[in-house]
Amino acid sequence: MRYKKIITDFFILMALTTNISFIVSPNPYELVITVAANLAATILKIGEGRVLSTEMLASSLVADLHLIPALFIFFMGDSHEAVGLAQGALAANIISVIISIIETVLSAFTEEED
Amino acid sequence: MPRLKLKRKIKRRLRKKREPKLIEIYQRRFIEALRELRIPLLMLHTALTVGTLGYMLLSGGDFINSFYMTIITIGTIGYGEVVAGSDTVYGRIFTSFLSLLGIGVFTTSVTVIVRIFFKEDIITLYRAIRMLREIEELEGHFIVCGYDKTSAWLAQTLKKRKIEFVVIEDNPEALKYLQEHNIKYFITEEPYKRSVLLSAGIKRAKGMVVNLRDDARNIAVIVTARLLRPSKEEFYIYSFASTDGTAEKMEELGANKAFVPNKLLATRLAAYIFHTGSAFISDLFDRIAFGEETDIDILELRVEPGSPLVGKKLKEIDLRRSLKVTIIAIRKPDGELDITISGETTIEEGDTLIIFGRPKNLRRAQKVLLEEAHKVLEDKA
Repeated sequence: MRYKKIITDFFILMALTTNISFIVSPNPYELVITVAANLAATILKIGEGRVLSTEMLASSLVADLHLIPALFIFFMGDSHEAVGLAQGALAANIISVIISIIETVLSAFTEEED
Repeated sequence: MPRLKLKRKIKRRLRKKREPKLIEIYQRRFIEALRELRIPLLMLHTALTVGTLGYMLLSGGDFINSFYMTIITIGTIGYGEVVAGSDTVYGRIFTSFLSLLGIGVFTTSVTVIVRIFFKEDIITLYRAIRMLREIEELEGHFIVCGYDKTSAWLAQTLKKRKIEFVVIEDNPEALKYLQEHNIKYFITEEPYKRSVLLSAGIKRAKGMVVNLRDDARNIAVIVTARLLRPSKEEFYIYSFASTDGTAEKMEELGANKAFVPNKLLATRLAAYIFHTGSAFISDLFDRIAFGEETDIDILELRVEPGSPLVGKKLKEIDLRRSLKVTIIAIRKPDGELDITISGETTIEEGDTLIIFGRPKNLRRAQKVLLEEAHKVLEDKA
């Protein structure tokens, strides 16, 4: 069992699910957890040398750059704008999950061939 | 069935891994070095998240102040209890635990992150990657394998002549001298590796100097380079050899010319002994020949068949006035050197004009004469 992959995938999915839940019902705790999960996913992707991993890091950074301003905007009182930014981050997170699935499938094939 | 076999063969071929480029190896090493950042960053991130969420729960969702309180607590700034709820019993218990864990995490993480960033490896790797990218842009340059005192002198002369070059040296101690001598492009890897020579731009280079202080290593580099650039006319390899015999072997294996340093030095010294009476002129020619006299140069220009210069007298073309260069001798096609030329001397087909002048004027003369010849030939066609 690859624990590193479990932890990375956990945070990638967590970022996506909390992001959706914040959009559905905007809540300060939800937003902070979303940002935290996204940042953790970004950190875990640093230093992965594969081609798809760099794509994943890029999409994660995009999500962070949407969510961090959303966090400050939300607590300054403009929740509508914050939700808009979180929706942008959601698109990046969906791409991140798709890339993660593709990478898993590809690595499964490589393992089989080896 | 044969189709299936072919398919499998193609697949196998496609799967065959190509040799990674040096820049790719460095990039991979750089990414691996960055991976060390993950644990300290995650530790710091966890401490900040736990602290912020804890204070948010205590204050009823005040994010900005909770984040600020976490920072001043784990960063040991301690401005006071700035967030609502932190001055309660639960708040103080939480702050105590956060301080106990967070301060250690914060200081450790920051120290580790700073150390990773300023570690020599990362900076060296980053510089090497940037340098390799710049080398990829070079064309018509020279590659100098091995860096010792001789290579340092060579580098100085090449720099004076504004000729770009890449030094390859596998001794890490030489790195200090390369930096001290302001060598623009260098690679600290074994020069006989194919990937290293390719990264030094051997495919686009004009020539190479092999000076590795060891005949066997010199031969290894010459052979590898010649396999990559087989033509002796398109890619020049100059090497050092310890004996005449080795020099001969090197030339057979692919070097255009192999020098025996001691012999070379003795010959040059002997030239001074033989010309003690005319020291200035022999020294001048010597310096021009060895590229030390950057103000004056000699150019050899072959008169091709059909050139407009054929049949003309030297006084008719008057290069001295029109292009500010002087023809000092003419080498005949049979190799004989005519040094008694005058204005009445006629240029013949196949002659090689030995022209003397300032490098800028020589370059201009070469361009003008070649262009003119080209134009005449085109008109004839």
